[in-house]
Amino acid sequence: MTVSTQVHRPESIDDLALVLRDHSDRERSLAVMGGGTHRWMGYPVATDAVVDTSGLAGVRVFEPDDLTVVVGAGTRIGDLESELAAGGKTAVLPETDHDATVGGVIASGASGYRRARFGPTRDRVLEVTAVTGDGRAIRSGGRVVKNVTGYDLPRLYTGSFGSLGVIESVCFKLWPVPERTVTVTVDDPERVRSEVHRPMAFLDVSGAHRVMLGGTGRAVDAEVSQLGGEVVEGLDWPTRPRHGVRVEVRVPPSHLPTVVSRLNGDYISQIEVGIVETTVETATDVLALRADVEALGGAILVEGGHEVDPWGTPPPTLDLQRRIIAEFDPHRIIEPGRLPGGI
Amino acid sequence: MTLFDELVAVTDPERVTDRPFDLHLHSADAGLRTGEATVVVFAETTEEVCDVVRLAARHGVPLVARGAGTGLAAGAVPTEGGIVLTLTRMNTISDIDPVNRTAWVGPGVINLDLSRATAPFDLHFAPDPSSQQACTIGGNIANNSGGPHCLSEGSTVNHILAIEMVMADGEVVILGGAAPDPIGLDLRGVVVGSEGTLGIVIRALVKLTPDPPEVRTMLCAFPTVEGAAAAVSGIIAAGVVPAALEMMDQGMLVAVENWLHAGFPTESAAALIAEVHCAPEAADAEVDVIREVAEQEGATEVRVARDEAERALIWKGRKSAFGAIAQTAPNYYLHDTVVPRTRLVETISEMYRIADDADLTMMNVFHAGDGNLHPLIAFDATEPGMADKVHAAADEMVAACVARGGVLSGEHGIGAEKRDLMGTVFTELDLDAQARLKHVFDPDRVLNPRKILPAGSRCFDYGGSPLPEGTWI
Ligand SMILES: Cc1cc2nc3c(=O)[nH]c(=O)nc-3n(C[C@H](O)[C@H](O)[C@H](O)COP(=O)(O)OP(=O)(O)OC[C@H]3O[C@@H](n4cnc5c(N)ncnc54)[C@H](O)[C@@H]3O)c2cc1C
Repeated sequence: MTVSTQVHRPESIDDLALVLRDHSDRERSLAVMGGGTHRWMGYPVATDAVVDTSGLAGVRVFEPDDLTVVVGAGTRIGDLESELAAGGKTAVLPETDHDATVGGVIASGASGYRRARFGPTRDRVLEVTAVTGDGRAIRSGGRVVKNVTGYDLPRLYTGSFGSLGVIESVCFKLWPVPERTVTVTVDDPERVRSEVHRPMAFLDVSGAHRVMLGGTGRAVDAEVSQLGGEVVEGLDWPTRPRHGVRVEVRVPPSHLPTVVSRLNGDYISQIEVGIVETTVETATDVLALRADVEALGGAILVEGGHEVDPWGTPPPTLDLQRRIIAEFDPHRIIEPGRLPGGI
Repeated sequence: MTLFDELVAVTDPERVTDRPFDLHLHSADAGLRTGEATVVVFAETTEEVCDVVRLAARHGVPLVARGAGTGLAAGAVPTEGGIVLTLTRMNTISDIDPVNRTAWVGPGVINLDLSRATAPFDLHFAPDPSSQQACTIGGNIANNSGGPHCLSEGSTVNHILAIEMVMADGEVVILGGAAPDPIGLDLRGVVVGSEGTLGIVIRALVKLTPDPPEVRTMLCAFPTVEGAAAAVSGIIAAGVVPAALEMMDQGMLVAVENWLHAGFPTESAAALIAEVHCAPEAADAEVDVIREVAEQEGATEVRVARDEAERALIWKGRKSAFGAIAQTAPNYYLHDTVVPRTRLVETISEMYRIADDADLTMMNVFHAGDGNLHPLIAFDATEPGMADKVHAAADEMVAACVARGGVLSGEHGIGAEKRDLMGTVFTELDLDAQARLKHVFDPDRVLNPRKILPAGSRCFDYGGSPLPEGTWI
């Protein structure tokens, strides 16, 4: 992204609506900056100005017994999770991106490793309040854990990269933090599949298999003794490979062994989920693998700004997606062209 | 050629009907509202669905998709007339993949048949509506249906990876895919729950859930509804999210017991059914937590099913509860609303008050863990003025939920039943945004028109807009 001169820092939804309406009227484009941790995803965009969401931070309503929280989009997820943990709850957000913001996580559709047990983030987005490209403040979903009142726009916002509007606040469904958690490094990954019923996470970290277990003390003890291996208290998340060009592979989980056998660098593979995070020296290194992965119905995301298309082959519904976006951002001012297909 | 003849030409004379009996049968669902179908078609192939959709568009007649017709919000009711397209014959299950835990499923497959087909692989389809012996996967997808076990596993949308769908122009698209997080907008996610208004689902890739190694089913009896509701909150606060947590009130317990004779505690004001799914050791620990909390909240009896037969009987009572109502009154109106779990007690009390004031018989059997209420009003429709009285009380109950931070529906859908109430939870701009989505998928309003959104949801239908001129496209 080129450095933009103007930065707007709205402190309320009305401020945000004004900024957007003004830019839409003048057809000036905007980037949305939360923590910047997902900037690597998608086509880089040069915009006329930036919306900084840090003025929209903070927990608004935390109802631990309802398992819900309403939180401003600019809130750092590390801050949110510590506040929730004090009430014995978690929003199951990505575990190692503390500086990412709620808005950024939802806009990029990011999930944590615990999706193996609790499902992806999008399954917990109960309500989204956003301002469309042309400045309309709209709310969808509701603050209850189960809801079919109207179209499920919260899911559409999850992974929309700003194309449907700037997210202002989100209501999440929460889970209780288990009484005890452990990380077990196992020698025989097959035993995990046979001995453990639905682990919280199950990772292959460059060839070493880690499984995260949670539950009552008694239950965890029992599982650990069945499983064997080296046990560490708590959830010991791996560090993402840093050197080189960032890459994420998404495949039906049965194809993970083939994928990791073709990688040269360090990696984190989410067994039973189908996602591998890795890095490559030069972006073109992924091209052969990408062709095979796409043939399996998967995708390889490559950090933007290199000589390789960051998304690969766009989905066949591109025209439909473009027409939906046109209803929410008619002058296409929010991060235009960032999505697959350059829409 | 007439529409009828054209429909026959693209399908089969045996599968197109306008006989009065067939039209009557396909003009209602399991709720109270009815419509008037013009013609009914039973599709068997993708090509037929495409052709029928194109014919509907060309003739400008509404097209209403239909599964088993067990919906309760008039989603499948042809309120505007037109073609009812029944998909029950597209009932193939293929590509069961035990490693990736997925299968491709036709829309007409019956929910329970899917879990039966995958049982040899120790897998099942988690959403389990009480109607699962009859309702179809197409209907489950369209309504984003829930069920007792959605407390820990989530509603249908969490279990649908991809959808093959016929669009309003007769084109076929595939939304989503077998790999996690397909790139681009999550159109799959918004089509689930769209009640046949965005497209006709012709196939879906479903996610299957591993069968639990251990299942424990508990029945806890309480002297007060408040005690039972407090136990629901207490169990969750203690860090346990059971696989299911259902409540039945006394009216319901009596109705079910009279018919099933399964030993339901008819003396109690309320009973909770709790179920845990886990490894054996974990199951013991969770059962203990639930027992402790229940006893703390005054439970007079906590029973753990000893065997599969006892377990099945408890669930039979729960899932057939609506059928058992027939002994109380010939008709019932079943509502579906949600409130934040901590507001359950006051909401239920308010519902009893509304029913009492209107001199109506109301009972409850519901997904307590999710705060998803199902007040059921039993009545006799032949009594003059009764239907209006029931509807008025039901609307008042919905309003009581909305006033407590709740929503209109947790799993049955909006359909024709609650579309006029949408303005009580959304602003004009919120509804306009939803109407824009519908417009993109179905600009000519062929697919299940006048469902979900109230008339005039697009702001420019009002003839004016709350925003300065020029902001609208
Ligand atoms: C006794 C009883 C108990 C019930 N219990 C539950 C429960 O526990 N949880 C719950 O969530 N619901 C419950 N329901 C409601 C109902 O069973 C569900 O909504 C079910 O999913 C409807 O499926 P169906 O096949 O009968 O759909 P239908 O009633 O035929 O149709 C429902 C909607 O789906 C649309 N539709 C159907 N097929 C397609 C398709 N292929 N493509 C696009 N749209 C389509 C229709 O247009 C309509 O809008 C219950 C109903 C009864 C009568």
